[in-house]
Amino acid sequence: MKDNKVRGIITLIVIALAFLSLLWPTSEGYKGLASLFSRIKLGLDISGGARIEYKVDIDKSVENPSQVAEDVWTVLRNRLDMANYTEAIVKQTFREENTFIIVEIPGATDTARAEQLIGSTGLLWFGQVIDSTTSDPKIDPNLVNEAKREKAEWLLDREGKTWYLVKKEIANISNLKLVSPKIVEAIPQVDRNNVAGYVVTFKLDKQYADVFKRITEKLYVPEDLINQGGVAYQQALKKRLAIVLDDRVQFAGFVTAKITDGSALIKGNFTLDEAKQLAAILKSGALPARLEKVSSGWVAPLLGADIVSASLKAGIIGIILVLIYMIIFYGVMGIVADIALLYNTFLLLGILAATGSILTLPGIAGIILTIGTTVDGNIIIYERIKEEIRRGSSVKAAISTAFSKSFITLFDANLTTIIAGLFLYYFGTGTVKGFAITLIIGVLGSLFVNLVVSRFFLELFSGAIKVKGASKGGARA
Amino acid sequence: MIDFVGKRKIFIVISLILVVASLISIFTKGFNYGVEFLGGSEIILKVNAEVSESDVRQLIKDLAPEFENARITQIKSVDDPKGISKFSIVVSPKDENGELKVYSGEEKSVLSQKIVEAFKNNNYTAEVIGFNETSGYAAQEIKNLTWKAIVFTLLALLIYITLRFQFVFGVGAVVALIHDVVITLGFYSFFNYELNVAAVAAILTLIGYSLNDTIVVYDRIRENLRRSRGSTIETLVNNSINQVIKRTINTSLTTFIVIFILLLFSGNSIKPFAFGMTIGTIVGTYSSLYIASPIVIRWIKK
Repeated sequence: MKDNKVRGIITLIVIALAFLSLLWPTSEGYKGLASLFSRIKLGLDISGGARIEYKVDIDKSVENPSQVAEDVWTVLRNRLDMANYTEAIVKQTFREENTFIIVEIPGATDTARAEQLIGSTGLLWFGQVIDSTTSDPKIDPNLVNEAKREKAEWLLDREGKTWYLVKKEIANISNLKLVSPKIVEAIPQVDRNNVAGYVVTFKLDKQYADVFKRITEKLYVPEDLINQGGVAYQQALKKRLAIVLDDRVQFAGFVTAKITDGSALIKGNFTLDEAKQLAAILKSGALPARLEKVSSGWVAPLLGADIVSASLKAGIIGIILVLIYMIIFYGVMGIVADIALLYNTFLLLGILAATGSILTLPGIAGIILTIGTTVDGNIIIYERIKEEIRRGSSVKAAISTAFSKSFITLFDANLTTIIAGLFLYYFGTGTVKGFAITLIIGVLGSLFVNLVVSRFFLELFSGAIKVKGASKGGARA
Repeated sequence: MIDFVGKRKIFIVISLILVVASLISIFTKGFNYGVEFLGGSEIILKVNAEVSESDVRQLIKDLAPEFENARITQIKSVDDPKGISKFSIVVSPKDENGELKVYSGEEKSVLSQKIVEAFKNNNYTAEVIGFNETSGYAAQEIKNLTWKAIVFTLLALLIYITLRFQFVFGVGAVVALIHDVVITLGFYSFFNYELNVAAVAAILTLIGYSLNDTIVVYDRIRENLRRSRGSTIETLVNNSINQVIKRTINTSLTTFIVIFILLLFSGNSIKPFAFGMTIGTIVGTYSSLYIASPIVIRWIKK
């Protein structure tokens, strides 16, 4: 009896945790029954959205391919953020020694714009900052005129907060400009003078070193002058160097040394992430990688909703029929099986919510299949119980023997399903992976539910269990 | 008591006929591959009127050369509202070298607009609600991975069962699985059902499911082997199958109910999965009772 108390407590705690993870408040405003599912992330095939998958084709000669893939990721993330696709998800996956980058944009109704954005190689150039402001220069006639006068452009910075008036021709010297230079190296490094900060060093290809030298000569501002303030500082503000990519100012700052060999250092009190990002951006023009679109697709939210409601309805009808079938065939034990089935379904949903796994359409199929394995486990146990009772055991003894005899069957039978699930996960692409996850979680859940939850309820209801034909003996079908 | 073992030769012949028929269909008729396997583009179109596949073909066939032999299938779910029809249009555009090409983002939006306009000119309201593309590379990759997944899964299971039972049981289970997979694939081919990634998921799940069934029977044989005295191996196997048959039938029926309802009511993207599972449940149950154990009787060691 003591054992069963432990089972009862575990049963309660686990289901309470599952509901806790399902019902934990979220920002999404679902109401009623739907709120049970609001914490489960839905795959794009259900919620609607666009998904583009690229193969990252990295030059064979590259020494550190994973770094290149990392840089590609950063550049794409940066571009999508700039274009206000902040809700987009960019992730890397690896299959068979190849790197893939997957871009998912929930709710997008068209991949065309995103594809153009990602597919284009951004234009990187160095320019001179003439002025800056935090208010929108397009609505201020003075600022518009200033841009016309200087033949320069107002461009936003990365964060979208500050506008810079930038021109390509440095110090008004025609032909002194640096557009899409090849940057052979850009590395984030610890700032020797500032413990917490990072700097970025970069090196231009030899052929650009001379132009860069002339630019730094023109824009050179001695360091003490920056700290001085006053008129000289105001003058210096017009000599800042800007690094522009995809029409956004990625960095603007003073040149404090004349650079002759093309190797420069950018200071800006960066965090490591900022420094990495800037380094990736600098290299983006010369990334030794090519993006090859392998698949893309989008699902209108409408189509997703249609399919989900039809499939959910099918699932619910199926569950109800199974619930009835089990009660007809197994009486009180059938009720226990029904409890086990509902228990495992909510447990699975709870785990999906807690782990942030994504539920895809094949995933729904996986859940429905879980019903099968849970019911199966119960049936294996019940048939054993019946057999034992027919042999003349008491109900209590029969339950105990049935569980110890069924354990090995359940273990072998479920483990083989898990093996199939693991292979499915490893070799699967996209939504099949989602199916494999729900299958594995569901099978593990059904093992737990069968051995702990079902047993708890069976022992609880053992007084009510009756088996027909107990006297006849034998195990006829 | 049902005699499963005594009549095994009849069932082995039935299975052989089914397997051969499936192989013939697979190799002569082939499969209706999904876009993931073929490579190419699938356009999902919703029309606010009840039109037929041939109407759609008529309206779009001149839009681009590849549309002339596009594969157009109507998508139906039981739940769909009246007065609306949905179609899946699969095309495999070729570039100037005859290689499969994928549409660029711009080409896609132009094409979508053209289709919508073609319908508009005939007083229909249509909407492109999905556009999926798979490059030739991806299609090849998916094919490779699918084969590997199936082969490695079977191998792993063979090893596992050999370790837990006897080698001969592993062979029996794998033979039964190959039997199930071939027949299910045969049904896909024969009924022209779309073989897509979801269908492959169904086949792999079926491997797990059918095996689950087989293991329950094997487990009983293993248990009975330990305490058997005097009875022949035929009787022992037959008794074991009879002892678990109620469980097998109840489990298969409940799974079948769920899967079959899913097949009837589910939307298009789950249908190929539900179809494979429906066939698989029947074949898998049959093979656990009539193939997996009877076929290996001669070699079981006491």
